[in-house]
Amino acid sequence: MKTFANKNPRTLEQAVSLVQQANKDGKTASIVGGGSDLLGLVKEFIVKPDVLVNLKAIRGLDQVTPAAGGVNIGGLITLDALGSHPLIRNQYTVLAEAAEAVATPQIRNVGTLAGNVCQRPWCWYFRNGFPCLKNGGTTCFSIVGDNRFHAIFGGGPSYIVHPSDTAPALVVLDAKFRVMGPAGERVVPAAEFFILPQQDAARENILAADEVLAGVQLAPARPGRRSTYNKVLDREAWTHAIVSAAVVLDMDKDVCQRASLVLGGVAPIPWRLPNVERLLAGQRITPELAAKAGEVAIEGAQKLSKNAYKVPMTKALVQRTLLALATRA
Amino acid sequence: MSKRKRDISRRQFLEGTGVVLAVATAGPALKGQLSTASPPEADSAVSGVPTTTVRLVVNGTEHRVDVEDRWTLAELLRDHLGLTGTKIGCDRGECGACTVLLDGKPVYSCSNLAVWADGRKVQTVEGLAQGEHLDPLQQAFVEHDGPQCGFCTSGQLMSAKGLLSRNPHPTAHEVRAAMTGNICRCSNYNRYVEAVMAATGSASTAKRGSSRSTASAEPGAGGAR
Amino acid sequence: MSQPPPVTPGKTIGHSTPRIDAVERVTGKATYSGDVHLTGMLYARVLRSPHAHARIRQIDVSKALALPGVKAALTHENCTVVWGAGSVAGGRQYVDEVKKTTRQKRYVFNNPVRFVGEPVAAVAATNRHIAEEALRLITVDYETLPFVLDQEEALRPESVKIWPEGNISLNVKNEAEPEVFRRGNVEEGLRTADHVFEDRYTTTYVHNAQMEPRVCVASWEGDKLTLYTPTQGTSNCRHDMARDLGIPDEKVRVITQYMGGGFGNKNQNQDADLITAVLAKEVGAPVKLELSRKEDFIGVHGRWPTTQYYKVGVSRDGVLQALQLRGYSGMGPYRKNSGAIGGIELYQCPNVESTVYPVSTNRAVSGNYRAPEFPQGFFGIESMMDDIAYKMKMDPVEFVVKNMTRKSNDETPYSNYTLEDCIRRGAEAFEWKKRWHPPGADPGAIKRGSGMSFMALRSPLGQSSAVLRLDSNGRYTVFVGVTDIGAGAKTTMSMIAAEELGVPLSNIDIVWGDTDRCPFSVGESGSRTTDMTGYAVIEAARDLKRQITEKGLPKGENALIASASPNPTSDGKVRKAFGAHFVEVEVDAELGRVRVLKYVAVHDSGRILNPLTATSQIKGGATQGIGMALHEDLVYDRRSGQPLTAGYYGARIMTHLDAPEIEVIFIESDDGYGPFGAKCIGEAGIVHAVAAVGNAVFNAIGHRMKDLPITRDKILGALA
Repeated sequence: MKTFANKNPRTLEQAVSLVQQANKDGKTASIVGGGSDLLGLVKEFIVKPDVLVNLKAIRGLDQVTPAAGGVNIGGLITLDALGSHPLIRNQYTVLAEAAEAVATPQIRNVGTLAGNVCQRPWCWYFRNGFPCLKNGGTTCFSIVGDNRFHAIFGGGPSYIVHPSDTAPALVVLDAKFRVMGPAGERVVPAAEFFILPQQDAARENILAADEVLAGVQLAPARPGRRSTYNKVLDREAWTHAIVSAAVVLDMDKDVCQRASLVLGGVAPIPWRLPNVERLLAGQRITPELAAKAGEVAIEGAQKLSKNAYKVPMTKALVQRTLLALATRA
Repeated sequence: MSKRKRDISRRQFLEGTGVVLAVATAGPALKGQLSTASPPEADSAVSGVPTTTVRLVVNGTEHRVDVEDRWTLAELLRDHLGLTGTKIGCDRGECGACTVLLDGKPVYSCSNLAVWADGRKVQTVEGLAQGEHLDPLQQAFVEHDGPQCGFCTSGQLMSAKGLLSRNPHPTAHEVRAAMTGNICRCSNYNRYVEAVMAATGSASTAKRGSSRSTASAEPGAGGAR
Repeated sequence: MSQPPPVTPGKTIGHSTPRIDAVERVTGKATYSGDVHLTGMLYARVLRSPHAHARIRQIDVSKALALPGVKAALTHENCTVVWGAGSVAGGRQYVDEVKKTTRQKRYVFNNPVRFVGEPVAAVAATNRHIAEEALRLITVDYETLPFVLDQEEALRPESVKIWPEGNISLNVKNEAEPEVFRRGNVEEGLRTADHVFEDRYTTTYVHNAQMEPRVCVASWEGDKLTLYTPTQGTSNCRHDMARDLGIPDEKVRVITQYMGGGFGNKNQNQDADLITAVLAKEVGAPVKLELSRKEDFIGVHGRWPTTQYYKVGVSRDGVLQALQLRGYSGMGPYRKNSGAIGGIELYQCPNVESTVYPVSTNRAVSGNYRAPEFPQGFFGIESMMDDIAYKMKMDPVEFVVKNMTRKSNDETPYSNYTLEDCIRRGAEAFEWKKRWHPPGADPGAIKRGSGMSFMALRSPLGQSSAVLRLDSNGRYTVFVGVTDIGAGAKTTMSMIAAEELGVPLSNIDIVWGDTDRCPFSVGESGSRTTDMTGYAVIEAARDLKRQITEKGLPKGENALIASASPNPTSDGKVRKAFGAHFVEVEVDAELGRVRVLKYVAVHDSGRILNPLTATSQIKGGATQGIGMALHEDLVYDRRSGQPLTAGYYGARIMTHLDAPEIEVIFIESDDGYGPFGAKCIGEAGIVHAVAAVGNAVFNAIGHRMKDLPITRDKILGALA
């Protein structure tokens, strides 16, 4: 691997100032959570850090803390701990299921929530070092290339899909993202944390180079809430989502008062489905309504040359996930 | 499965064949305590490259080592502590051959830096057996033909060990799910699951071995010897 | 016709026996080549072409050499070693003479470079990180050239000529001709058939993906080279090294104590071995070269992709009249192996014609992977026939039994014949009549389907060697040149020796995998070790028993030594292993997901010497076949010629959760040949697995999937 120095800051503030110091010295700093994804990028020379700022050294960033009826989750919590945490499993099931859906046990044992949310795309052009929009270049190779895994919504000029499982779950829960930077901490609503390529093709979220995702805040779970994360993989285990659905239903007996749906694997950001949410509000979710929801979900989809199959896949996934969640005992 | 006695013990086998094992001719001794010395010359940290002193416990033995910040845990174990039982299959966290237990949890040692293991406990495949006594998992792997080529075997063992320490009586599906981060290209998957289930003493729903019969009469059949 | 005597276990053979080295493998004590650590060892890394086709105008290694710790650098300018096994006319690796006459030679470093990943330079340094950094200091000025990736496209006149002779890969006589096989008159047969069916099937490049990446440690002592390298054939590797380096065979020692799989891409020598050996000579110190997984995927070789066109003529009662294959195999720019497409031989048919073009392309080189030419061809032809059975409204099993081969090439008897047995047994165990239904019959989104396939696989006899020694302490030592790629050869050879000698297995020691200590071995490939080296062990044991009778048991310091190099034949009969696979799948027609629910594999591999390891071989092969059917590919970006999925993740190699339970049924037989009647088994599990899965998917959804792998996007596309 390229030479780098590993630094173990004691606090988040220290972490931020280490990044700033490195930049001042004309060096590149990379912030590290679990490190699995980053090391892969470093080994391929796609990321070339001189300094690693190791957040694992900071105590107390991995806690699940009830707060004001809701919960604060430290960004450094491992996916394994998150997925098995009783409070998350019971009240924020979609997030627990999403955490459990990531990769393999070995990765979940070190991979962090923040790392998973901030994971770089798994587009095979990006990962194979093509000089694309995400890699200092000016083009997206998937447009005229092999785009079978690329976006059907929100694409352009880059057509990557957001690779995270936990991100759609956090968005569907209307999470607030706690960002730590040189100016201190700020809170960013989920809907604003992820950015479309139209806005900035080089990045997937609003974090500046000297900012850290310190954690998330979740609002109290409403009574009658049920949620789930459903993922279509490209073998039986251990791939990113071809398409995934994070669904929250606030039920009053068998009427859905409020629905939230966010898709993964279809867009450069977790893709909210407001039209479907409007369709379902106040309704009983029958097989017919679930089918209609599937159709509405794919309205406006823009197919590339090889990813048309994602459209019927999305429709079916939304329909099935809704119906199963609504009718489950 | 009938307990067919292993006819050749490990020590007998090694002595009997007289095969030269060219492992670590310059490296530290393998059995028992491990020294903190790295092999000379070729593998020493090169000047100008950031290094850190780390303390970690590996298979119950404490080590204090100067590591280059860029060394992976796999590299530290294999090249500097002489523990070559952990294998590197891809060095990208995509295959699981390098799985070790870090504070009791299975991780990809190729995707963790050595510096991040400071102050932590590592268990590798070399730490499973107690002297000449194999861990029940190892014994089960032997009896159920766990290793074909054997290259993924260390990683499979450590994942299984991690699973059983959390869940001593898993179902076959739970075994598969826990070990799904370990690829076996020989595709010996059925055998690994069978072996883990046997090691737990659980009744296995997995089929054992094969069934055999003799061919029926057909033209051109040669006689038996 | 009398019932053959039942095949019963011997004293040692026929009993499930754990591998004699299993303890080494489960304790981490087994030394693989990458575990070897020699004093003063340096580390090497290889710089590879980023272009699919390019001429190197200039290459400058001076900055790399100036980096502290770097000791040597090689390029095409200072290393002109020809890698004889890297490109062989006609792909004839086992005919040594051909390597001298091969016209399209492959150097260790070529100019022009002809695929992404072709070696351009190599360095040796004091550690691997420095070696990696050194590569990034090498500057290369390339003139990029047009390239072609697809095997059919490469034969179009407008495609770039990769070689001056054009893109048909040269045959053993250096002619640009397809491989043709004929029987009868296929044009006449097609003309007179009641029905003619035509279709096209394709298969992809599937990498061996063995767990142990290519690695090599080379060390010179004076003019003698010692190579620690994972090779399936220590003898042929040694000979290749000697020839390529221009030194006598006895000046090369190849050591393979343990190796982590290969499935065919670790035979002969590889360029990694040559690079390491030359660097080691340059620097006067041992050198270790470790390939990354990506380098292994694109720099070694994988199964050749194929395009297959079938035209089949059938009588109105479903009997084959004519069978024509026109096939194209993508070999990459260098011809390592045959490029053949098997399958025609599975059927009884008076008029047959097979024309196969091995084609040069600018992709990763193709070569042997577990039954090299069979899974591709069996998928194509058995899908074709399954489709014909459907169109003729016949049960696939009945169509197969009506048309399957009964004599080799319809004329030469097999040494024994159990194919119908295998099929009937399998159908019964699988409950075929209960599970099979009209294709696409399940109404909902979740559709089940069943399919079957069968095989007859070459199980040749041939020459190999063994040496046996008896010491005065009553211990027998077997010396064989096997390397135990994973099939358990050491254990099998020991069991054979024990059986023939009439002693317990615990009296047997074995010395293997070292050309200085072991005799010739044919190499663990083509499922030949048990049949050939095993037979040699029996002959050596017989010789030893004769010596004991003549001279009595050895005393004191004396030993009795026997050696054998038999070259048995099967008396003009053709030996084949037979098998049938029955598969039930579940297809989610809305999400495109395919799962295997039930898998029954019936095999006649003669006498089963070690049921434990034999069963594992079938399970392993069948599982790899499922992966080839449903998942695996090396995807290339067409515009840049770059491989996109060179790794375990990208290639979607099967995981624990993907692997179904494989039920294995052996029908044992003893045809009087081979060691105790054993036939080939190592490759038997994969050859027809792909076809069985494909046929099951058809039965589930009623659409024929003709292009592998059968991935989710293809299922949804077919059902759209």
